[in-house]
Formats: sequence, C-alpha cells, structure tokens
Amino acid sequence: MAFKVKGKVKSGKGTRGGSPSKVKCVKVWTTWAMKKAKLIVHWGFIPLVIVVGMNSEPKPPLSQLLSPV
Amino acid sequence: MVQMYNIIILLNLEDLINKYKICNYHVSKQTKTKTLQPPAFSHSPFSSPFTPHFPSSECLSTAMGSSPSRDAASNPASVDPPLASASAEPPHHVGLAVALPPPVDEKKDGVVDVNKRVDYLNLPCPVPFEEIQREALMSLKPDLFEGMRFDFTKGLNQNFALCHSVFMGSTEHPSQSGDIVKVPSSNYEFGANFLDPKLMLVGRLGTDGRLNGRVKCDLTENLILKINASLTNEPHYSQGMFNFDYKGKDFRSQFQIGNNAFYGANYIQSVSPHLSLGTEIFWLGHQRKSGIGFAARFNTDKWVGTAQVANTGIVALSYVQKVSEKVSLASDFMYNHMSGDVTSSFGYDYILRQCRLRGKIDSNGTVAAFLEERLNMGVNFILSAEIDHRKKDYKFGFGMTVGE
Repeated sequence: MAFKVKGKVKSGKGTRGGSPSKVKCVKVWTTWAMKKAKLIVHWGFIPLVIVVGMNSEPKPPLSQLLSPV
Repeated sequence: MVQMYNIIILLNLEDLINKYKICNYHVSKQTKTKTLQPPAFSHSPFSSPFTPHFPSSECLSTAMGSSPSRDAASNPASVDPPLASASAEPPHHVGLAVALPPPVDEKKDGVVDVNKRVDYLNLPCPVPFEEIQREALMSLKPDLFEGMRFDFTKGLNQNFALCHSVFMGSTEHPSQSGDIVKVPSSNYEFGANFLDPKLMLVGRLGTDGRLNGRVKCDLTENLILKINASLTNEPHYSQGMFNFDYKGKDFRSQFQIGNNAFYGANYIQSVSPHLSLGTEIFWLGHQRKSGIGFAARFNTDKWVGTAQVANTGIVALSYVQKVSEKVSLASDFMYNHMSGDVTSSFGYDYILRQCRLRGKIDSNGTVAAFLEERLNMGVNFILSAEIDHRKKDYKFGFGMTVGE
C-alpha cells in the first residue's frame, strides 16, 4: 500500500513539469556512464599500458613480455 | 634522475594521507588493510601532516606528491644512480635514495649571505604543495612491512617495464576488543609501467581484483594532469582523483577533483629564496565538510623546516638537518586537536654507497628501522623492523627487490 502511494506521488511530480524527470534522466545516464567507464578502466588500463609500452621505441620483442629473463 | 625521483614520490602511496582521514573517510589499502583508514589518495598537505604514517601501499593510489599533502609519501624509493633505468619503481620498491633538499642559492653552509641582494623577481619555483614535507617523510616514513616481500621488475625498454610482486605475511585487521588481530595473507601483484618525459602510466593489478592506476601527463610545459585511481570489484570502495597542476615562475597551484564530490585546491608561492608559503582548501561534498590550511617551508642546503596548520585542528611541524652528505636527521611533530593525538618522532637516515638505513623512534613507544642493501647491480635486500612497545606488537619483514 505504501509503495503504491509513493509511486503515485512520484508520477504526479513527473507529469507536473518536464525538468525534474529530465534531471533524473541525466543523473541516471551519468551513473550508467560512470559505471561503464569504471568497468572499462578496470579491465582495460593494464592492457592499455602494455600496448603503449610495446609500441614505444625501441620496440621490444613480443617474447620478452612473457619470458622471465 | 629527478624524474625518477618524482616518479617514486608519485608511486608512494603513503602520502595518501588524507584529508579524508580527517573527515572519517574510509578507505582500504590494497595490501594492508588498516582499520578505518581514510581514503588515502589525497596528496594534499592536509594529508600528510595530518595522517599518521601508513605503509606505502602499492602505487598509484594517491600518493602523488610528497609530504604533507596527499602524496606524501612514505616514499619507498628515491632514485639511485644504479636504478637509473627508466622503469618506475613500484611504491614499495625501495632503492637507495638520495634525499637532499633542493639547493638554494645564496646559502653557504647554512648561513644566509646577507650581503648578496635578493632578487625578488627571480625567486626559485617552490616544491609542490604536497611535497612540502618530503624530506621528513622520506626519512621518517619508510615502507615498513611484516612478512616476506619479493619484487621483480623486468625492463623491456628504456621506458617500459613489467613488474611482479609477491607478498606473504600478516596484515592487521581491526578487532572489536581493540586488540590487534593479525591475519596471514598473501598476494601477487602484476604491474606495468610506462615512463616517458611527457607521459607516465603506471598500473598495478592484484589478485584480489584491485587495480591501482596512475597517469601523469604533461599537457603543456607548465600544466600537468595527474590521475590516481584505485578500483575494486566491491561497490563503493573505488576511488579516483584528478589533479591539475599549474607551475608558474615562482608559484605552483593545483586543483583537485575526487570521487565522493571532493574538490580541493592549493597554492604555494616563494616569498624569498628560502621561504615559501602555501595554502590549501578542500570541500568534501558527501559529508559536507570543508577545510582550509596553511603551510610554510624554509629550506637551506643544510636544513629544511616546515610547518602546517589546518582548521580541522591539525598542526604538523618537521625539521630535517643534513649532517653530512651521507647522514641526515629528521624530526616530526603532529598534533590533532579533534582527537587529542600528539605524536612526535625522531629519526636518522644514512645513505651510504651500498645501503640505505633509516631508523626512528616515536613518542608512541614505537621503534622502527628499515634497511635496503644493494647486494649487486639491480638486486636489493630489504629488512624492516617495527617494535611497538606500548601495544606489544612486533613486526619484522624481509624482502628482495630484483630489477632495475
């Protein structure tokens, strides 16, 4: 019951003016973008460093990446 | 060499001192979890003087910058000629360091030459605000650890290196009764460093899924962008910080944006060839806290003295005297008005040809020593000891660091 009431209040506010829902939209999308960015950075940062390093001059051979010597 | 030195400082996480700490911000360190550690990645001066030393954690997090500020690092490393290769050292990678205050003109043997006129239009550029206390931090806050540590850095190239580091030992966890609970733990960390005069990328990925990343990019000659991030798989435990540094002729300014709506700015200006004054403000959005602080640094080529105060109730003073080329003595005092903590420590720093020995004694009843011995080119042996007489906590560690 309480949830239903809350839902009604929220939709009421939304229909009253376009801007509150727009702000909410922007917030939701920013949060989604930040989450995706965090995931990309989390997985991709080290590969990025490796790619940048392997392409710098003088180019190290690929076998050096895995060999312990 | 200077660049390496800067890199080491950057990698030093100890300075993760925290503004946050003051604001009860919580952060967990990568390898060692300390109780209620505030997020460390602030390098601002607030951080360093105000925070008790932490062990320097593996890089990247925040530790950009030295002394008082966040970066303050406990810097594990200073660059040594043998370590001149461009590979960045991981934060806990210790090398033989030469910690010298920047030479100041017009000074001979610590005596100000009053006959020489001071050209106030040509003052030297001051050290970055977070590095105000760097000499004291480097001498007094080595990267103490308990257990075994092994670091291997493999340089593929002048600018690019991979590193592997293994740690097996105890980490302390907070317990309900206030006693220290030591939990044996081990971790492996893989890292990649790319160092260029204009771009620095350092990444460390541990077995617990935590990524510490650091980016330093020279956008123009005077404007530097630094990014520190510590990302974890657990939600709400990740941190990130953006720093924009501008270096002027005799001043430096920095603007910081961090997660949890953290905004900070600091500014430091040389007012005489030996004295520089700085100020810092920060705003923490989620907790609605703000603070302002002031700092001063007086350095000659024989000694360096710094003082910092903040409206969060923190006063930090430090003094480092270079007794000779190889020996320097450092002392440090910190007072936290909110918690009533007063800590002072006194330490020595011997930088010899084959080793670097640092020891200190604290007003908390702690005695610590840290030795880095160069056995061979690129092979360093590390011994760390910390005895806390008050809490009866004994920590001994040993390790080896292989690689340039």
